[in-house]
Amino acid sequence: MLSLGYVLQQTMNGVILGCIYSLLALGMTVVYGILRLINFAHGALITLGAFFVYFVSVRYGLSFIAGIFLVIGFGGLMGLVLDLIAYRKLRGGPEVALLITSIGFYTFIENFLKLIVSPQPYAFKTPDYLNILYRMRFLTFRSIDLFIILSSIAIMIAFSIFIKKSKMGIAMRATAENLEVANMMGIEINKVISVAFILGSAIAAFTGFLWGAKYGQISYDMGFLTGVKAFVAVVVGGVGSIPGAMLGGFVLGVAEILSVALLPTRFAEYRDGIVFAILILVLLIKPSGIMGVKEEIRV
Amino acid sequence: MNQKRRIIPEFWFIIGGCLLFLIIFILSRTLNRYLIHIIVLMGIYSIATVSLNLTNGYTGLFSLGHAAFMAIGAYTSTLLAFPLHLRESYELPLLPAFLTGADGAMPFIVALIAGGVFAALSAILIGAPVLRLRGHYLSVASLGFMVIVTTFAKTLKGITRGSMGINAIPSYTNIYWTYLWLLIAIYVVWRIVHSRFGRAMMAIRDDETAAQVLGIFPMKYKLLSFVVGAFFAGVAGGLFAHFTKAIRPFEFSFAMTFQIVIMLIVGGMGTMSGPLVGTFSLMAFRYALKPVEEHLKVYGFIELVYAALLIIIMLWKPEGIMGKRQLKR
Amino acid sequence: MLKVKNLSVKYGVIPALQDISIEVKDGQIVSLIGANGAGKTTTLKTIMGILKPANGSIVYRDEDITRMSTPQRVRKEICLVPEGRGIFNRLTVRENLLLGAYHRNDEQEINLDLEKSYSLFPRLKERENQIAGTLSGGEQQMLAIGRGLMSRPKLMLLDEPSLGLAPLVVRELYELIQEILKQGVTILLVEQNATMAIRVSDYVYLLETGNVKLEGIPKEVESLEDVRKVYLGG
Repeated sequence: MLSLGYVLQQTMNGVILGCIYSLLALGMTVVYGILRLINFAHGALITLGAFFVYFVSVRYGLSFIAGIFLVIGFGGLMGLVLDLIAYRKLRGGPEVALLITSIGFYTFIENFLKLIVSPQPYAFKTPDYLNILYRMRFLTFRSIDLFIILSSIAIMIAFSIFIKKSKMGIAMRATAENLEVANMMGIEINKVISVAFILGSAIAAFTGFLWGAKYGQISYDMGFLTGVKAFVAVVVGGVGSIPGAMLGGFVLGVAEILSVALLPTRFAEYRDGIVFAILILVLLIKPSGIMGVKEEIRV
Repeated sequence: MNQKRRIIPEFWFIIGGCLLFLIIFILSRTLNRYLIHIIVLMGIYSIATVSLNLTNGYTGLFSLGHAAFMAIGAYTSTLLAFPLHLRESYELPLLPAFLTGADGAMPFIVALIAGGVFAALSAILIGAPVLRLRGHYLSVASLGFMVIVTTFAKTLKGITRGSMGINAIPSYTNIYWTYLWLLIAIYVVWRIVHSRFGRAMMAIRDDETAAQVLGIFPMKYKLLSFVVGAFFAGVAGGLFAHFTKAIRPFEFSFAMTFQIVIMLIVGGMGTMSGPLVGTFSLMAFRYALKPVEEHLKVYGFIELVYAALLIIIMLWKPEGIMGKRQLKR
Repeated sequence: MLKVKNLSVKYGVIPALQDISIEVKDGQIVSLIGANGAGKTTTLKTIMGILKPANGSIVYRDEDITRMSTPQRVRKEICLVPEGRGIFNRLTVRENLLLGAYHRNDEQEINLDLEKSYSLFPRLKERENQIAGTLSGGEQQMLAIGRGLMSRPKLMLLDEPSLGLAPLVVRELYELIQEILKQGVTILLVEQNATMAIRVSDYVYLLETGNVKLEGIPKEVESLEDVRKVYLGG
């Protein structure tokens, strides 16, 4: 029954999913803006982040707060590693080469986890203070949901300040706009790219934790589709625009949940298909997305 | 003056084909079933790689949705060729009378071609919008197409039996059919590549703007290579379905596309022998390692090695085993 | 200050510069003139380290910088004002200027230099927080030069500053260039607008298809019949 309460509740669920997508889109667009690389490995970092916190906190009992700080560092480190091993070498080559290599990395990490950890999903048990249930008139949610919303906002604000005010942030924006000229200015491009990878990957790893905490379950393949959806969010919001990426994440999250919620139940399985249908529609109708800067998407 | 007798290439194909079938005949008589099984699979995957090579290697359209066309081909040919007497028990729809032969199902060859045609039609449908996109947008959009197709495969339960998939598919595929189709695929790709179509495609791959300036209308050629690629992928899918005797939506996911892509890249995109070398060597590698995998219970190990191999190739020899400077800068 | 010796640069297999030798002395303005494709921009890019030479050497203030990376050269106080301005359209005027000083750490001095740029280009101060893409052509050129100045260069490479600008603006621009010279910056200027360039320069090199066709002080170069016909409009 389509009551107001139901719609509000689903909208809230959409917003929460949207927070996660926004964070992922943010991480993805930081790298994409500079390298024009769709980093499939981004999805792998989600999975890695989730499993990292799982082992550190759920299995071995370190406090979740510590786990969160550690996973952010871990993610950053992984991003740097990927940059140094591969992407740096491929820089300046054909775009497709980077894409293929990132797919290779994703598959490697996914199968590595499948092998070393398990092909079976694990239950991600969160501490009680993240599970407190809040019941309001129209909305029901748990404290983890609040945590997701608050931490997303915090990260987005922190990131915006960084990218607007700090020297490195300005350099990153400049490099994203025109890498050659940035190089001519004496900006160390390699350093800028490394920072982009570290930031993006750290955020992705943290998001993996959020995902595991929210949905209570993690598996070796949880990152793939989510990672690609992050790119869809970037496109929807507008490639090349950081606020666009964040907006795109929200729009996609709400659209995904609401479309499933408002259609008859048998359409629930169309969920993923709907996300990609949105992608194709956006690419056809308004390729620059909601807030996008003109980029050659068409040939 | 002496007129030089030109030996037309088709002649070589026919000779080669006869030789091939002779070899296959000998093999089928001498090798055990397991090895024949592997050889057939190699053939099927080769059809997929060869067709993807036309789209990705020669035209530069990095499509990640090839598994979608295989899925379409697989389901179409299965549904058309499924024996009538089994349809009820397997909850599959009956075909309208005018379409079928005596036993309420189409002959295998017709169903197979229909699968390819259906895949080709969907390629036209999705190609028109998607092929306009550049580089990685095309890749992700084609990936999205694959997700959409598998989603439909899961949801149109009345036709596809949803996630459970279809079982008890009659085993029509054999080694002869497979390699005949492979030969056809290679011949078709070869002909296209060595014609003005092929030259146009390669021009588009190397520099689309320059190609346009030369008067080449990109969409026509992109669509041609995409559709031909899809047709053979559909055929491969049909062969696959009637070989493995069961199909489910999740089989035609990214993992399958990845397999084909890696075989193509390792072998060498944009060369005629590349996809074959890649497919045969990687599959041989897989089956050689399979006993190790099972013995040590390390499932997924082969995919790991594949992925590592892809990364290594991309970093050090991106043109693949058979390739000449293509992906390299 | 700058000695380029026997420089050869190739784009793949196509030679862009063949055996070029150029000298710029302290406090001079030296111009490279020549038609499109003569290799002028290529020369500047190679001096800046964006392109790697196949042969030859670049000696700057008695130091061989041929192997150095671009950021290293920037730190040696060489700056390039690229062809077409090369400003970051999506950043503000202020941010563009600050980027010129990216490699510097002395915040107070940077702010001083910012003020100095503003005094040199008052219009930029007015538009401090405006997005650079909204500026007029002339203002963008000033921004590009101002940004170059922010790195406190000893040597400034100016690539076709008058491109696309109205004659009045070009005159204003060249007054500014001479002002900069007075402040102690050595300038290597590339121009298609040979007339203006010759007028302000101490020495001129004429490039043609990757070679130095001739060189000399402006009076000499101007007087040559061929040059007048082809490059100075008769």
